[in-house]
Order: sequence, then C-alpha cells, then structure tokens
Amino acid sequence: MSHRILIIDDEDDIREVAALSLETVAGWQVFVANSGSQGLARAIEHQPDAILLDVMMPGMDGPTTFRELRKNPATARIPVLLLTAKVQSSDQRRFADLGVEAILFKPFDPLTLSTQISDALGWN
Amino acid sequence: MDADAQIALSAALDRMWAVHLPELQGRVDVLESAAQAFAAGPLSVDRQLAAQAAAHKLAGVLGTFGLTRGTVLARELEIMYSRQDDRKSDAAERLNAIAAELRSIVSTRK
Repeated sequence: MSHRILIIDDEDDIREVAALSLETVAGWQVFVANSGSQGLARAIEHQPDAILLDVMMPGMDGPTTFRELRKNPATARIPVLLLTAKVQSSDQRRFADLGVEAILFKPFDPLTLSTQISDALGWN
Repeated sequence: MDADAQIALSAALDRMWAVHLPELQGRVDVLESAAQAFAAGPLSVDRQLAAQAAAHKLAGVLGTFGLTRGTVLARELEIMYSRQDDRKSDAAERLNAIAAELRSIVSTRK
C-alpha cells in the first residue's frame, strides 16, 4: 500500500537519501521540509500519513516542532517518528517522553527504512 | 524489493554521494582544524561546538552510505568534543588520528 510521508530535516544529504529510499524501495509519496517551521506548513498543506522528524535542527528543533504539530488540530493526529543520531540512553528517554510514535536512529539503512517505519506504525 | 529497484537505488546513492561530497569534506575540514587547534591550546567554545556539530552530522550520514566505521569514529569525536574539560595528554593525538581516518574514509568512500 502506498503511503504519504513528510520528512523534516535540515541536512540535505540525509533528507534526500531518506526521500529516495522511501520512494524507490517502498513506492511512497514523499514531501520534504528543511526546517521545523517549513515542516509545520507542509504538514498542514499535505496531511501526510506520517512525519519523519529530525531532532537537531537550527531554529525550531525536532521536539519543539513536535509540540507545535500536536497543538494544531490540523496536524495533532498525524503520527510522528523522531529521527536522531543521538544514541545515549538519557537522550532516548527524553525523546520517548515526548509521546512520539517511535524513535529511529541515524545512520539508517536506505534499504530498510520503509520497513522500520511500517513496523513502528503497524502498517504491515 | 526487486533487483532493478535495488540497482536504481544504488546508482542514485552514488549520485547523491558525489553531490554531497564537498559538504562532507567540509565537515572533515572542521574536524581537522579543531584537532590541530586543540593540540595548540584550549578550544574556543564556538570552535568546540562547531567540531561537535560536524562530528554529529558525519556520524548520522556516513553509515547511511555504508560507511559504518566512519559513523563509529565520528561518534567518538562527538563525545570527545562534548567533554569541555577533557585535556588529557593523549586526547590531541586521538582527535588528529580520527580526523585523518575520517578524511581517508570520505575521500575513498571505503
């Protein structure tokens, strides 16, 4: 089944590889944003099935973006998966406490990223 | 995933590597420069944060291109630069050695 995913990440290489992976491997429709504020606008505009959200971004970071998504009735129910290169357990606990659907880790395998997302969201 | 899609993905990743190589090399530049400065004396906060950010970004991306060793090394650097009071005598040597190995990994994609 095809899904519609919004990727919010300020790093061009990560964002482009993730988009390529989800389009090529899974055949999903991908929207992208390079900042938290742009991501909020794209989420309202496209109403994706899920959002893949980077944690560390300049300006509005991932946790702040997540809270803004939850505040807005237009985006409050969209599942959000955090994408982070932070591997320390204290960071993981802090992110899990936010209430996101799942935490995925960088680096990811482009061949299996869509499976990771599907597993986390029960799409299989 | 069928073989054709896998080949297409691999080819697209090759193209992306080429496009983003200057950016990756720039991050290694930051790490080399910080390692050299560290050997000469305490780093400024700005330089330390820049090195930590460059290491963090490399850790996140290199493994995505199959360079797992690069991610391990960059993660080690990120941790070292996050410890602001780390002035152990062997730290400068280690910072330089990791930056050099990352340079090699990024240059050869191996």
